[in-house]
Amino acid sequence: MKKNQALRNAGLFFLFGGPSLIAFTLVFLIPFVVGLYLTFTKWDVVNNDGSFVGFVNYVEVFRDKSFLTQLWFTIRYVFFTVIFSNVLAFLIALALTTGIKGERWIRTGYFTPNLIGGIVLGYLWQSLFSRVMPFLGQKYGWPLFETSWLTDTDKAFWALVIATSWQLAGYLMIIYIAGITGVPKDVIEAAKMDGAGNFTILRKVVLRLSIPAVVVCVFLSVSRSFLTYDLNLSLTKGGPFNSTELATYHIVQKAFLSNQYGVGQAEAIVLFVIVAAVALTQSYLLKKLEVES
Amino acid sequence: MKAFKSFAFLSLCTILLVGLLSACSGGNKENTGSSNSGSAGGSTGTSSESTGSAAGSGKEIKITFFNTSAEVNTVFEELFAKYHEINPNVTVELIPTPIGGAQIEIFQSRLASGNPPTISNLDAGHILLYKDKFLDLESVRAKYEELTLPGAVEGGVLDGKFLGIPWSAQGYGLLYNTRVVEEAIGGPFDPSTIRTRDDLAALLEKVDAAGIPPVIIHGADWSLGAHYFALGFSLQSRNAEERFQFWEDLKAGKVKLADNAVFNGLMDTFDLLKKYNARKNDPLVANYELDSADFARGKAAFYFMGDWTWAVIGSLEDRDNDFGVLPIPISNNPDDYGNGQIPYSEPKLFAIDNSAATPEEQQAALEFIEWMLTSEEGQKAIVEKMGLVMPYKDVKAESSNVIAKAVAEYVSRGETIDISIINYFPADYWANNGASMQKYLVDKIDRAGLFEEIEKYWQNVD
Repeated sequence: MKKNQALRNAGLFFLFGGPSLIAFTLVFLIPFVVGLYLTFTKWDVVNNDGSFVGFVNYVEVFRDKSFLTQLWFTIRYVFFTVIFSNVLAFLIALALTTGIKGERWIRTGYFTPNLIGGIVLGYLWQSLFSRVMPFLGQKYGWPLFETSWLTDTDKAFWALVIATSWQLAGYLMIIYIAGITGVPKDVIEAAKMDGAGNFTILRKVVLRLSIPAVVVCVFLSVSRSFLTYDLNLSLTKGGPFNSTELATYHIVQKAFLSNQYGVGQAEAIVLFVIVAAVALTQSYLLKKLEVES
Repeated sequence: MKAFKSFAFLSLCTILLVGLLSACSGGNKENTGSSNSGSAGGSTGTSSESTGSAAGSGKEIKITFFNTSAEVNTVFEELFAKYHEINPNVTVELIPTPIGGAQIEIFQSRLASGNPPTISNLDAGHILLYKDKFLDLESVRAKYEELTLPGAVEGGVLDGKFLGIPWSAQGYGLLYNTRVVEEAIGGPFDPSTIRTRDDLAALLEKVDAAGIPPVIIHGADWSLGAHYFALGFSLQSRNAEERFQFWEDLKAGKVKLADNAVFNGLMDTFDLLKKYNARKNDPLVANYELDSADFARGKAAFYFMGDWTWAVIGSLEDRDNDFGVLPIPISNNPDDYGNGQIPYSEPKLFAIDNSAATPEEQQAALEFIEWMLTSEEGQKAIVEKMGLVMPYKDVKAESSNVIAKAVAEYVSRGETIDISIINYFPADYWANNGASMQKYLVDKIDRAGLFEEIEKYWQNVD
């Protein structure tokens, strides 16, 4: 009987966990391990030379000044994107849980950018930034929009942040809505009885009780914005003069354009370590804020 | 009952699992199958067959065609369909690439995954880079020497081997809109009167005075890096060996660009163009369609670009009809190399894979290429629909490309610049030098800074 039970448990596990476990191993674990191995070799497609070179590629990573510059660029980009997208998403979620008319439609509207691929989205914003805005800027004499935002490093930075936040916010909004609607009504009522104002309720009750949603959202936005590639490709293409290459874009250029596969792969591993460290630290710190209702 | 239930459960799981696994392996088989099963077949039976016609053998053959001339993807697809009608057992499948985007990356990942395209339409430089992966076309060299114009096959000879079949030729320079220029100078315009920088400066001033934006500098890195700046390497000398020597010396740090008359002259002319740049307000927007269309509609008199831009211009409505091309003068001596000549090359070549393709596939690829380049349908598609120039004898199609016709006049007089040295440059040179040129264009660095960045790039190349 006991053996039967164990078999049954294993079966259950494989029924639900098996497919994703296999997929995870095939498309993530194995490539990751192979990729790690490749950073220690002189591998490239041209000569297929797989000889072992030790840490040479990693030394090269830290000598690649443009990678370090672009990494710093990426970190600033992630910082602002995470803040903007989360604040925006939380505010929208708050507004859309009060029971406004047509709530569902508005939710769908905000979520739509997520259903559009990053490439399409990038081209959309590109024509907005480099065609529509300069046109309006020149017509009405707004100095901020007179030239394309994408041809200036600083403005292109904000263009990237705005476009990503806009896309991410709709997705995060759904999670925040779930978090906010999960706050028990009786707690809010009790707070009201005690004379708490709306703002106090929001700050002390709603926000505190939706910390799990915040943890998930910040984690998602950190990892997603660190790994932005498609939007970068279609919005700025790394330009002007390669100054808006995000880390992933730089890595792809390094490997596939400059034919330095080993160095590119090593840079990818360095990026992975940074993303993992940042994402885990922030979710550990935020989790500490969680409270039971 | 309970035991039965859990048994059913388990078997269900097993079926699911097996299904998943077999689906995976099935996918694998399909990916590598074209090379594995095919090459097994090749080693047993095709050594005699491969001399015969692949299309006539009746066996189903699928070949892939990797295309970096992305702007004409659809024309190629129409050709593939037509060839399939004539030879129902041969299917050609297009592997498209984005215009001006990540093209070679797609090729590399296919090569790395052991699934390379049978035919690749690539830049000569990329073929050279992967020269060991491509078929040596020595067996058809005599045939193509017969078919093409003199010198055309040489463009496909890389490192001593005939690796790429030439199919189109392109020239570039300072394009001009004849109507606009003639209106500005108030009379007929003779391009041979512009042989020095001062001539050009006087002309640009006249155009400017007439209230027409004089010149569009397309601010993309490929245009600035590969077409403009790299011209300096090709113009070092009329002698190919001396050009390569200069390049070697630059890499070794033995020569300084600041001391080089050609590069300084080229950049002096660039300063002149920059002064009259119609895109002065925001030079790096680099919208190719818009720049080409504005030039074609007479919103600027000159445009630094090549005859390939006809793919955009040709189909425009309300455009002008007459265009020409000028050399980029790099000095004030009309006889200097480059002041009367325009750069002309075979930028794209058809290469056939020799790393995974079977002899049958290679044979089918050769037959298909020959059909495309010699049949009337093929030539009409390339010349009329793509608007390209074919370096072939007896082309049975009339080009509508006005700019290509202007280029052909220079070619027939032998006034061309050999730019094949760029085929030997590293694959990322245009992006790097182009980025430096972009900085120069927006005055982020001065000429000393530009030369310093570019020298630094070349000194780091092995």
